[in-house]
Amino acid sequence: MSVSPGTKNPRDWKALLTRHEMLLLYVLIAEWLFFYFAGTTTNRRGVVVGFGTLDRQFDILRHSCEIGLLALALTPVIITAGIDLSIGSLLGLCAILFGKLWHDGGLTIPVAAGLTLALGALAGGINASLITALRLPPLIVTLGTYSLFRGLAEAITHGAITYTDFPASFLFVGQERWLGLPTQAWVFLGVALGVGLLVHRTTFGRAFRTIGFSPEGARYAGLPVARRLALVYVLAGLIAAIAAIIYTARLGQAKADAGTGYELFAITAVVLGGTSIFGGTGSVHGTLLGVAAIAVLKNGLACLPVVMRMNAAEEMSGLLTGALLLLALTASVLPKILSRFRTRHHAPAL
Amino acid sequence: MKKILLHLCTAGAVLLASLVTATAADSKLVVAMLPKSKGNAYFISCKVGADKAAKELGIQLLFDGPTDSNAAKQNEIVENWITLGVDVIAVAAENKEGISTALRKAQKAGIKVLTFDADAMTDARSFFVNQATPEGIGQGLMDEAARLTNSEGEFAMIVASLTASNQREWQQHIEARLKEKYPKMKLVAVRPCDDLKDKAQSEATALLSANPKLKLIMAICSPGVPGAAEAVKQAGLTGKVKVMGLGLPNENKRYVHAGVTDSIILWNTGDLGYLAIYAGVALAKDELKKGAKTFKAGSLGTFSIAGDNILLGKPFIFNKANIDQFDF
Repeated sequence: MSVSPGTKNPRDWKALLTRHEMLLLYVLIAEWLFFYFAGTTTNRRGVVVGFGTLDRQFDILRHSCEIGLLALALTPVIITAGIDLSIGSLLGLCAILFGKLWHDGGLTIPVAAGLTLALGALAGGINASLITALRLPPLIVTLGTYSLFRGLAEAITHGAITYTDFPASFLFVGQERWLGLPTQAWVFLGVALGVGLLVHRTTFGRAFRTIGFSPEGARYAGLPVARRLALVYVLAGLIAAIAAIIYTARLGQAKADAGTGYELFAITAVVLGGTSIFGGTGSVHGTLLGVAAIAVLKNGLACLPVVMRMNAAEEMSGLLTGALLLLALTASVLPKILSRFRTRHHAPAL
Repeated sequence: MKKILLHLCTAGAVLLASLVTATAADSKLVVAMLPKSKGNAYFISCKVGADKAAKELGIQLLFDGPTDSNAAKQNEIVENWITLGVDVIAVAAENKEGISTALRKAQKAGIKVLTFDADAMTDARSFFVNQATPEGIGQGLMDEAARLTNSEGEFAMIVASLTASNQREWQQHIEARLKEKYPKMKLVAVRPCDDLKDKAQSEATALLSANPKLKLIMAICSPGVPGAAEAVKQAGLTGKVKVMGLGLPNENKRYVHAGVTDSIILWNTGDLGYLAIYAGVALAKDELKKGAKTFKAGSLGTFSIAGDNILLGKPFIFNKANIDQFDF
């Protein structure tokens, strides 16, 4: 799978246009246009408000950064047929650690951030060693660390302490713009580029897919399966720590409940983006489109007058995100089913 | 395949479009109210009052919040409202510092911001609709206790903990009121219950056996009241030892109807929502300005303002006669 985008002959073009990522792009454009026309109004002061404002687009970008980062972290993990349920909890733990290192440890923001990244990678290493050394299923291991990391975050703060009063220079990362975009978007794009190169342009990426297709096969082919697997989980921990720092900068607070439930949004985005939950196939650009489709849907719904009147933005976004995911999954298996159907009726029996 | 998807898209768009009624610009003032969590019965009862105020004032009320108490979602909802260009945002802050960054942004965008129920940082809002001052709560509790015991005899208190700052503050106001107005009453014991009903019950049982002349138990944390009531009931002292305190109507209804608990003190949440909307609209219309001493809110009359706190005023007493009208 994951046809390289340089394909030339016309049949490949057709394949390219109907690939899952392209379909998702159409959905995203349709969504965007719909909300642009249905969700933009002029308020009583005569100001254009709603979805069709630049501020709104920046908000969408700003709100997608953390879940987007987690989705990026999960893409290689899921390509190897693994899963990491702990990254939302790890985001919370890293936010707390970062706050504590800065506030109680008296460290400067850059040092605290650097240490937090190291600790995030270390936490990812716990997942990695349990999964590779003990050969435990990732689902179970990360279900365990899902509770463990959140529990640690709550224990450190007794569920009550919130770290705040961060300096303005740090809040700049989460609340202001730099070179035209929300500052954290640059971090997000940087990580996306990095993970994209890793997955699509290196032998590591090929190894991830091979492992996802068949770990035994990969082992027989001489791939260092354990080391490659360890890499994806450590990387996931590291990216969760980056997300934690951005989250803290956006809200101006570090609290133990940070990132609760984010892992599920991230998994949704990855799967929506065409990465198979059984591993072996998937793409980073698909994940980015998945993140965008969900973010636009969620944010756009909140602009619709009818949704506003019903005061149901959050419920509607949950409902339609689910519907979108199921629709996308159905659409992606439809060609297979159709072709099987055609084969059965038109082709001679084998 | 492409065709199928395009069909699906169109179908989806049509479906969504059918949900959208006329998007004609509403010329009504828009007030957006953000509870800590929107499923919480406490805030739903605030909304009842807010709806009433919105109807009287002819404004559009948006009432949205996280489905669970989630500070990050509160911020996202506020940011959403900023780009929607609402006129007023009224917030019950889940997290004081966290929400304030979003509220300051709203203020910068020309939106009037006020808080109710739980305050944000003072620079992030114009007014706080304060449902109860520690003084008001302390005096209300002590006065009601005195009324129930004809201002004489021994009573004991159950508190959440001996150190929690709000509990300490309420207790000081209760004791001050006691000293000042009720010389024939005597506070014989103050016991902590760690905010647990079971602990409150065992503490109350111990209080009852250690103080045979006890006439009343006052609990100032919400699990304390039903806990104390259960102890009194099991000791067979219903009616002989009165139970009252600070709590929520629903968890005490049973005991109030059984005659174990006499009164529950809190504030009228409907009035809180009503006042918050009236204050928000007055802010938007520039009728409520910094430094005002009083504020008139529709049918509820005039409220006093202390600094930038609009005071809901005296606590509300729930008893057998009215408790069934409240559901939170």
